[in-house]
Amino acid sequence: MAESADPGQPAAGAPQPADELPAPVPPGPAPPGPARRSFLRGLAGGVAGGVIAGGAAGAAAGYAYRGSRPAPAAAAEDADLVSGRLPAVPFHGRYQSGILPGPQQQTAVVAFRVTAASRAGLTDLLRAVTDRARFLTTGGIPSPAGIGGPPADSGVLGPDVVPDGLTVTAAVGSTLFDGRYGLATRRPAQLTPMRAFPNDNLDPAQTGGDLLLQFSAGHADTVLHALRDVARHTRGGMQAVWRIHGFSSPARPAGTVPRNLMGFMDGISNPATASRTQMDSLVWIQPGAAGEPAWTAGGSYLVVRLIRMFVEFWDRVSINEQEKMFGRRRDTGYPLDSISIHATPDFANDAAGDVIPLSAHIRLANPRTPQTAASRILRRGYNYDRGIDEVGDLDMGLIFTCFQQDIKRQFEAVQTRLIDEPLVDYISPFGGGYFLALPGVTGPADYYGRALLA
Amino acid sequence: MRALRLLVIAAIAAAALAACGGAAAPGAISVSTASCGGDWHLARPGWHTFQVRNDSTGGAEIDLVNPASNAIYAEIANFGPGTTAPMRLNVGSGAYAFRCLFDDQDPMTGRTVTVPGHAKGTPAVEPVTYNQLTPLAIRYQAYTAAGLDTLATQAAALQAAVAQGHLAAAKRAWLTAHLTYERLGAAYDAFGDFDGEINSPAGRSGVHSSQWTGFYRLEYGLWHGQPARELIPVAATLTKDVLALRKAWPGMQVAQLDVGLRTHEILENALQFQLTGADDYGSGTTLATTEANITGTRELLTLLHPLLVPRYAALPDTERWLDRLQSLLEKQQRTDGSWVPVASLPPDAREQINAACSQALQLLAPIADITEPRNI
Repeated sequence: MAESADPGQPAAGAPQPADELPAPVPPGPAPPGPARRSFLRGLAGGVAGGVIAGGAAGAAAGYAYRGSRPAPAAAAEDADLVSGRLPAVPFHGRYQSGILPGPQQQTAVVAFRVTAASRAGLTDLLRAVTDRARFLTTGGIPSPAGIGGPPADSGVLGPDVVPDGLTVTAAVGSTLFDGRYGLATRRPAQLTPMRAFPNDNLDPAQTGGDLLLQFSAGHADTVLHALRDVARHTRGGMQAVWRIHGFSSPARPAGTVPRNLMGFMDGISNPATASRTQMDSLVWIQPGAAGEPAWTAGGSYLVVRLIRMFVEFWDRVSINEQEKMFGRRRDTGYPLDSISIHATPDFANDAAGDVIPLSAHIRLANPRTPQTAASRILRRGYNYDRGIDEVGDLDMGLIFTCFQQDIKRQFEAVQTRLIDEPLVDYISPFGGGYFLALPGVTGPADYYGRALLA
Repeated sequence: MRALRLLVIAAIAAAALAACGGAAAPGAISVSTASCGGDWHLARPGWHTFQVRNDSTGGAEIDLVNPASNAIYAEIANFGPGTTAPMRLNVGSGAYAFRCLFDDQDPMTGRTVTVPGHAKGTPAVEPVTYNQLTPLAIRYQAYTAAGLDTLATQAAALQAAVAQGHLAAAKRAWLTAHLTYERLGAAYDAFGDFDGEINSPAGRSGVHSSQWTGFYRLEYGLWHGQPARELIPVAATLTKDVLALRKAWPGMQVAQLDVGLRTHEILENALQFQLTGADDYGSGTTLATTEANITGTRELLTLLHPLLVPRYAALPDTERWLDRLQSLLEKQQRTDGSWVPVASLPPDAREQINAACSQALQLLAPIADITEPRNI
């Protein structure tokens, strides 16, 4: 749920400039402008080099290859090929780079059971995932297999792997810390199986997992290419146990916030990702955090909830009822007591809930009090859509994901306030899990989970 | 904060006016405890968006009405102070007025504005009042009380069959009693915690939990070969809970709002939990349950009939689709009285049933809006 539309644009009450982090890579298509145009020119003219942030040798070689074709045809073809494609998101960093940016257009969330036979096998697995993620997010030409075997790449993206804004977020589940890999003493303090709340209808086959990978990018082909690439390099080390594909919608009208499949703008009120203070107090696990093993510093707890929406039923509910359940206007996203999307609802001035009912989703989720400020979460949801159910109704809903530094203080506190909210009749949480998004991969020699396995 | 908000309002109002340019559209309609809509005009009929601004200091509900009949063309509910909300409709020729309901105040109606010409617009719906719904809720209460009397007898017969170890008879008695309960659909919310004890699916702790009670628990046992001695306490608890509900019922209330709301919610639940097979714990009778739910729905429609006839043109269609759904369901009862489980339905039959239920729901849904009790 694309949050405040632009993570680089702090909402009201946001941080002083001195507090700002380097802006995360924007989630949307690159803004039109000189930088973007030179990017395209660079491709068409075969000019290799650092036009793509973090571009590696493979990427450079790719442009050289393209440049060797007849120039005018290649120029037109390449411009088409990459139009709308996003630049690379730098892979290396203290934190994983897919966490702070707003939702991309496409995502795949895939949970795996680790099948590696030993701790060394687990290390090899995470190294392999890291290597592939590094290549895929950077882009380049896959090494040809020659006559020695089937092609090294699925070819889904054509001969050159474009980065298309791909991020690969890796997270571990509590089951990885059982006896298999000698990690029991390193389990993050709050990493447990996902708590089932009243009204949840969790399917064990779509819940949990040892390792969760989330692939997000500008297009579905990029996401699926990355998933297939990582899978083919890790066949023996892990088995997929559930997966779901999601998308985020364009903001309609322009300048607002993307909508969920109930027609309401979702994820409007989020912490400011440009605020170091807020990220350090709400999202990142801090060095020396109480009860947490040292290796978790720079990680973040990730809660995934797969939530079916009964959209046919929902569409049979009056607009007044719908707006009362959310506490916002459907058309504009305004809180019922306000005239802008990002306005802070004044619950204190509406103590009886005459305007925004006491049971409204926005009121329970974020009561906007000093006491509840520490329970805020960074929501990063996506819509999902996947076929029909037993009575021919559409199986669609929300891949709710959120990041936080403390599951109990944050997600569980929020979800506890939401127990039995009126919306529960129209939704059914059926899967997901609690995970810990690993600290970032800091450089070419680093890999996912190095500190965990050290 | 307050000053800031007013500034923002002024900016938006100015932008709205600028966007309208020189068109005939008026600026924002102001409503407050001093004036409900003020002095506004509309030169001609057609699609129009009124930007209504709540200039009072509290929440409000604003209706655009026909002042002669009180019928409502459009409404803004949960209307916050200091906010502006759009009211969009096809304005026909005729008389219009805003009606303002501010929290804790008597309703007031603004000046009547006559739109000239002979154009038809968005039709108005005559509001349904609490006073009109109260006797219906009371009659529904009596219907439910009678149903609970029947249920108490049937639950006792079920308990006796289990106690005597006559499990085949117990299965028949279970279905009889369960369908009686399912015909009382509109009262689910009013039953409160009783419903959780009498008719809830297995919880998160699963089908083997000792906390699980009620019809579905007993169904699971009867159709999964559990011995009578294991089911005796389950049947006894069910009887006890039914008797407790019957005793408590006269002190409980069916809300006026629920009378209309449940006309589609009963079958929404049937579609979601019965026709999917989700709540089939072994008896394969979810089609029978759905039919019982139709009976409960029809009871509400019968009560609401006099209010709906003048307000809902699609009512006959609605009843036709319920008839069709019912006849499709009845075809799936075998001559020995047993039912075809949904999972065993031929695809064509299942599609027909799903489609009929979905169409009936589509037609039932507006009744909740039309019969929502309103203050006038």
